[in-house]
Amino acid sequence: MCGIAGILYKNGPVDSAIGRNLIAMLDGCQHRGPDSTGFALYHEPKENLLRLRFFIEDGPEGDKTLDRIKDKLADFQAEVVEEQRIGSTGRFEVRFKGDLQKLAYALEHVAKVVSIGESLDIIKDIGGAHDVDDVYGVDDFHGTHGIGHVRLATESDVAPEASHPFWATGFADIAIVHNGQITNYWKMRRRLVKRGFEFNTDNDSELIAVYLADKLSQGEKLTDALKTSIDDMDGTFSFLVSTRDEIGFAKDHLAAKPMVKFENDDLIAIASEEVSLNKLFPGEALSTSEPPPGSYGTWQRSI
Amino acid sequence: MATIDLATTSVRDANGLIRNYGAEGEDVVVINPDARHHIGVGLVHPIRVRIKGSAGYFCAGLSDGGQYEIDNNVGWGLADNMLGGSVVVRGNASAIAAVAIRGAEVVVHGNIGSRAGQVMKEGTLLAKGNANFMAGYMMYGGRIIILGASGEKVGQDMTGGTIYVGGKIDSLGTDAHQIDLPEAEQNEIREFLDRYEISFAGRLQKVVNAGKNLRYNKIEPRVRNVPFFVASGKSDYWNEKVQEDIHVKSIIGRYRIRGYGTSRPLPHLSDLAFKHKISLQNIDAQVIDKVAMATEVGGRNGGRPISLSMPVMIAPMSYGALSKSTKLALALASKLSGISENTGEGGMMDAQRQMADQLIYQCLSGRLGWNIHDMQRANGLEIYISQGAKPGLGGQLMARKVTREIATIRGIPEGIDLRSPSRHPDVLGADDLVIKIEEFREATGYRIPVSVKLGAGRVRDDIKIAWKDGFDFVELDGLQGSTGAAGNEVLEYVGIPTLSAIQETMDSLDEVGGRDDMPIVLMGGIKDGIDAAKALALGAHAVGIGTAAIIAGGCIACLQCHVGQCVVGIATQDPEHEKRYDTDVEAHHIHTYLESMRWQLAAITHSLGHSNVHDLCRDDLVALTPEAAEITRLPYAPEYRKVS
Repeated sequence: MCGIAGILYKNGPVDSAIGRNLIAMLDGCQHRGPDSTGFALYHEPKENLLRLRFFIEDGPEGDKTLDRIKDKLADFQAEVVEEQRIGSTGRFEVRFKGDLQKLAYALEHVAKVVSIGESLDIIKDIGGAHDVDDVYGVDDFHGTHGIGHVRLATESDVAPEASHPFWATGFADIAIVHNGQITNYWKMRRRLVKRGFEFNTDNDSELIAVYLADKLSQGEKLTDALKTSIDDMDGTFSFLVSTRDEIGFAKDHLAAKPMVKFENDDLIAIASEEVSLNKLFPGEALSTSEPPPGSYGTWQRSI
Repeated sequence: MATIDLATTSVRDANGLIRNYGAEGEDVVVINPDARHHIGVGLVHPIRVRIKGSAGYFCAGLSDGGQYEIDNNVGWGLADNMLGGSVVVRGNASAIAAVAIRGAEVVVHGNIGSRAGQVMKEGTLLAKGNANFMAGYMMYGGRIIILGASGEKVGQDMTGGTIYVGGKIDSLGTDAHQIDLPEAEQNEIREFLDRYEISFAGRLQKVVNAGKNLRYNKIEPRVRNVPFFVASGKSDYWNEKVQEDIHVKSIIGRYRIRGYGTSRPLPHLSDLAFKHKISLQNIDAQVIDKVAMATEVGGRNGGRPISLSMPVMIAPMSYGALSKSTKLALALASKLSGISENTGEGGMMDAQRQMADQLIYQCLSGRLGWNIHDMQRANGLEIYISQGAKPGLGGQLMARKVTREIATIRGIPEGIDLRSPSRHPDVLGADDLVIKIEEFREATGYRIPVSVKLGAGRVRDDIKIAWKDGFDFVELDGLQGSTGAAGNEVLEYVGIPTLSAIQETMDSLDEVGGRDDMPIVLMGGIKDGIDAAKALALGAHAVGIGTAAIIAGGCIACLQCHVGQCVVGIATQDPEHEKRYDTDVEAHHIHTYLESMRWQLAAITHSLGHSNVHDLCRDDLVALTPEAAEITRLPYAPEYRKVS
């Protein structure tokens, strides 16, 4: 019940206007989902520097959550370099060398984690693309690539934590935006839980993220993981996944959820509707194409 | 030639301008379209509309006679339901190009997406490139020409029409087969190609319906049937109805079709009582004058609401399921009582339009009888998602009722067992639905309400979607709703009772803060003014009656609506049977029954101490059974069951 968008500069200036472009693309398809908007933004990683974002409650309750987070970071010898409370979130930069998954699971038990990564920062909240930008300054974000999402809440509440993108809990720098519904969600989730993975939400999009991240952590290529996802996931879906250097997509066999892409020498842009792509190139007749049903693909930025 | 710049003009304003230019006969160029949706929707004049760039969803949709040219790509639903005129697309078209067209010519120079020509009735769709899967899905007529590869499952469940393929046939769909293409027909296609200056050197292959699934292969034997009141009067699991059922299934080996609704005892409004003692002796004869009952439904988006003299509507029932005489009686009765009539699935008749003061026009998945002209003369539009009698299924009309006249108005072949699609071609989620509603509003200049008909299933989620997607009102139909034909299993067991549906709806609207903002018209087993008063007290804004109106007009409830030989001339298209129905007499009966509902509503409202029927509230009610109390959270008060 949503619209999705993604953009990647292939030859990478690392300071491309990713924020501004994604705002335009999501604004273009806001009719598909007026309830909330989110961005997964990627910039160049810095060595041993982790970016973390949490949902923080208003007022003194939030202060307590921040204290719990800081205590837990201290337990893991993660040194806080920068700290900011903005909108309904708290953002940290920390120096950390240990096991990220252990840190993530531990943090999940003291606060609602939005994302953790060396490159990735997820910003999501209720309202339209411009509303979220007004609070978080997404427009100023420059980086390498990003994906975004507008949501029409149907089965769960209108809340920041139910918004997309979803981080692949426990896996650095992997995020997903998804339009559709995974109908074998619980079956798939039980399989992953049995293997020790934890889930932050009951949202089927988080499942796709963890499923793909698991495959990647076993050394599979993103394109192979996407290929198997089409057969393993049941339901209707069009989703985008992003990693530190790649954007990928997959679309189910019935193609009930739309997706259209545009590529030139510099960039690849992909979205639910062409109207979003035209937002990047006003007045131009773009040569676009639709990924066929049951297809998948990836694009990598040159590093 | 006029120019419209979409960089500075909204699509809504642009469409208004295009319609005005159309009326004046002036051609239009649209610049900076940037793939925006709904460009050119609702145009009914033969002007040229040139779109310099890409267009989004439903370009040229719900229109008649325009000649559209699009320089680049188009999104979903190109030329949706277009009646006449032409569309030429220089780039690619996305999914369901030429969906439900009824006569237009649609030419795409690039490729076409999946399900092209779904439920089309007449006209031509040509793709110079390749098609994606299921081209011609459930098409009823017309022709699709694909010069490239056909895509998988070409002609899936097609009923009529022809598909020509120039390239590879990837695979044939269910009930489609390839036959020889006569030279004369090959030449006809070439003439069409020449007209659009498209060269093609190869040979075409012809795909048509194989005719194996158009009728049920075994028909139900005529047995001494057990009428509704006998069937529903017993709750034992071995009874005459079960015996009949087993006998019939031992012959046909499939589900049975019948008319009417569930016959099982279910929690219902009759399990509620009014909290205060109502003494009929003391009721004022002039009570109708003392209670405000006028009700408006559907103005929340600025359209002109349906205006009812009391909170009652006629439920949607089709011309097809019912005879013309019956539909006209309903229309006349609705006018006499100052309420609204609804076309149901089968399209709008001129006489019906003239007879009814307020007519809601229903759009179903098969788009049978659906067109821009009738949309523009309706007082309200309604998107049917499902109905209480058969949630998840489309309409059903057995062959005997699919006469030439019915087939013509619906745009389908005569004499098939019509099973309408279970879902809309262009509504696969709440996100698509938003765009669909907007198309309807564009087509009618935002003048009239757009409502949704929902069968009660996952009510909690569905109502939130209806509210968020901006419908003007909801017709909510519980499990007790009836139909002209459906599988018995679905009638009896699919969906939730009307009582549960209204309660879940109110809870759901409370969750999103929409209770005061979304009128609910409750239907499904509403039999009189007493049920209506209870429904209003539970939060409904109005009620719809179908079965009660039919019975008032002479129905004997034999459950044989599907057969087509209704002995009282209601559920039939056979002129001999229809003769037995006197429209004026039955319209009078239905009207008189509606007036009895008015009196009941007024009397109850007045007796409970209110002066406006919309002041009825939960405080006025108690539950007579633990089950009803559990469903509604009303106080359980068994003492009210005692008859004094």
